[in-house]
Amino acid sequence: MLGHNKQFIFTGERIGLLTALVLLAAVPFYIQNRAIVELIILANIYAVYVASWDILCGYTGQVSFGHALFVGGGAYTAGLLNFYFKVPPYLTIFLGGGVAAVFGLLIGLPCLRLRGPYFALATFAAAGVPHGLTDVYWEITGGLDGLYGIAPIWPTLTGKYYFSLLLAVLGCLPLYLGGRSNKGLILKSIREDEIASMASGIDTPRYKLVTFVISGFIAGLAGAFYSHNQLHVGPETLSINLSVLVIIMSVVGGIGTITGPICGAYILTIFNEMLREWEEVRLLIYTATVVLMLLFAPRGILPALSGGISRFWAMRKRG
Amino acid sequence: MGVLLEIQELTKYFGGLGAVKTVSFVLHEGEMLGIIGPNGAGKTTLFNLLTGFLQPNEGNILFKGENLVGLKPYDIVNKGIARTFQIVRPFHQLTALENVKISYLSQRGKGKARSEEEVEENCLKLLEIVGLSGKESMLAKDLPHGDLKRLELARAMATGPELLLLDEPFAGLGVKEVASLSPVIQKLSEQGHSIIIIEHKLRELMKLVRRVITLHFGEKIADGTPDEISRNEQVIQAYLGKGGRTFATG
Repeated sequence: MLGHNKQFIFTGERIGLLTALVLLAAVPFYIQNRAIVELIILANIYAVYVASWDILCGYTGQVSFGHALFVGGGAYTAGLLNFYFKVPPYLTIFLGGGVAAVFGLLIGLPCLRLRGPYFALATFAAAGVPHGLTDVYWEITGGLDGLYGIAPIWPTLTGKYYFSLLLAVLGCLPLYLGGRSNKGLILKSIREDEIASMASGIDTPRYKLVTFVISGFIAGLAGAFYSHNQLHVGPETLSINLSVLVIIMSVVGGIGTITGPICGAYILTIFNEMLREWEEVRLLIYTATVVLMLLFAPRGILPALSGGISRFWAMRKRG
Repeated sequence: MGVLLEIQELTKYFGGLGAVKTVSFVLHEGEMLGIIGPNGAGKTTLFNLLTGFLQPNEGNILFKGENLVGLKPYDIVNKGIARTFQIVRPFHQLTALENVKISYLSQRGKGKARSEEEVEENCLKLLEIVGLSGKESMLAKDLPHGDLKRLELARAMATGPELLLLDEPFAGLGVKEVASLSPVIQKLSEQGHSIIIIEHKLRELMKLVRRVITLHFGEKIADGTPDEISRNEQVIQAYLGKGGRTFATG
C-alpha cells in the first residue's frame, strides 16, 4: 500500500517538476517587468544553494551552518579572477565551483568525526574565517564594499535569465536524481543511523566526504554565477545570514527531498520581495510566516502538500 | 572443518577498567557458538572489538588467517563478518526492503547481485526467510520490536557474511516470537554460516548451540558443551546460580 503511495507521490512530483520547469522556461514570454525577472533569476540561484545544502545536510542529517563558505568561495573566485585577470564568466563559474569543491574537501575531512552541535559549530567557524579575511585583505577584496565591475554573464536580461535557469537545472537535476538513486538511499541510511550504516558495510566517511565535495562544487557554481549576476562580489556571500537563510528555505520547503528546499527557495525569495512595500514590519511578517509554516507543516511545505494530496486520493478511492 | 576465526589474547581497557581481558578462542567453519555471562561481562564489547567498532589494546583477531585489528567496521563487513545489535538499530524512515537493500549496496553485497531487479529479488527473498514477507513496504518505524529483530538479521545476512554475530537476538521477544525466530537461526547454521550468539535466554540458546563460552568480568572462565558449562562450578557461581544448572537439559 505504502509502495503504491510512494509511486504516486513520485509520479506526482515529476509531473509537478516538469510543469514548474515549463512555467519557468516561459517566464520571459509572460513577465515583462524587469524587476520580477531579476527576482526569479535570484530565486533560480537560491534554488541551487538550497539543493546543494540539502544533499549534504538533509540527506546525511548533519546541519551545516557554513554553506556560505562554498557560495562565497565560488563568488570570490569568480569575482577576483574576472576583476583582476579578466577571465571570462564561462570559465570563472567552473573555477568557482572547483575552488568551493576543494573547500568542501578541506572542511569535510576534519568534520567527519563531528556530530550535531559540534559539526554545526565547526562549519559555522569555517565560513567565518574567510568572511573575516575579506576585511583583512581589503586591498585585494575590496573589504566590506567588495568589488564592483564584475563582467555580466550575458548582456541581455533574457539571456541572463536563461543562463540562470540552465544553472538551476544543471545544479539541481543531478542532486534530485542522485537523491533518488541508491547513492541517495545510502546517504539517508547515514542520516538515520551512521553506526548501523557502517555495520551494513557502507564506507560512511567516504560517502560523507564525497557529498561535501559535490555540495561545495554545486554551491560554488551558483555563488560564482551570483557574482556575475550582481556584477559585484562582497562579504555578504560569506555571511552567516546567507547560511541561515539557506537553512530556513530548506526547512520550510522540506529537508531531505531536494525538491522541497527548491520550493522553499522560490516561495521565500518571492515572498520576501513582496514584503518590501511594508519595509518597517517586513522582518516581523517574514519571521511570523516562517514560524507559522513550521508550526502547521513541520516536515516542510512540499511533504505536507504531497502527503495531503495522496491522502485525498486514497480517501476518494475508498469512496 | 578449518578454523574461521581465531581470537588471540584479546584485551580492551576503558581507562582502568578491563572490559575484555586476554580472551582467546577459536571458531571453526560452520560452527555455532554461544557466549554467555552476566551483564558487564564484556560480551558486547567483544562483539564491538570483532566488528571494528572498538580497537583492542592488545591481541589479534584472525579471520581466515588475516588480522582484522585496525580495520574499520565497514572493511570488516566486506571481509565477511556481519552483526546485529542488542538494541535494534533500524533505519526508521526507510522501508523494510530499503533497510535490507542498504547492505546489498555495500562493497561485499554488490558482488552478490548484478541488476537492480536481482537486488530487489534477493532482498525480498531474505525478508521472506526471516519471516517478514508482505511487510517489505512498511517503514521500519512502524514495525513491532519482534519484526525489527528479524529485520536486523535480514540486514546482516544481506552483506553475504561467512560469520554472523548475533547480539541477543531473542531479547525482548515473547515465547512465540522466540520459537519462530529460533528455527531461522538454526536454518542459517545448517546452510553453512558460522554463527556466534550472545544470549541471556539460556534454554533457547542451548537448544541452538553445541559449544558455549562464558565470560565473567572480561575473562573467559569456561569453554565447553552446554552440558559441561551447566556443571562448571565457576559458571554456576558467577552466572547461573544453583538453580540454573538445569538449563541445558530443560
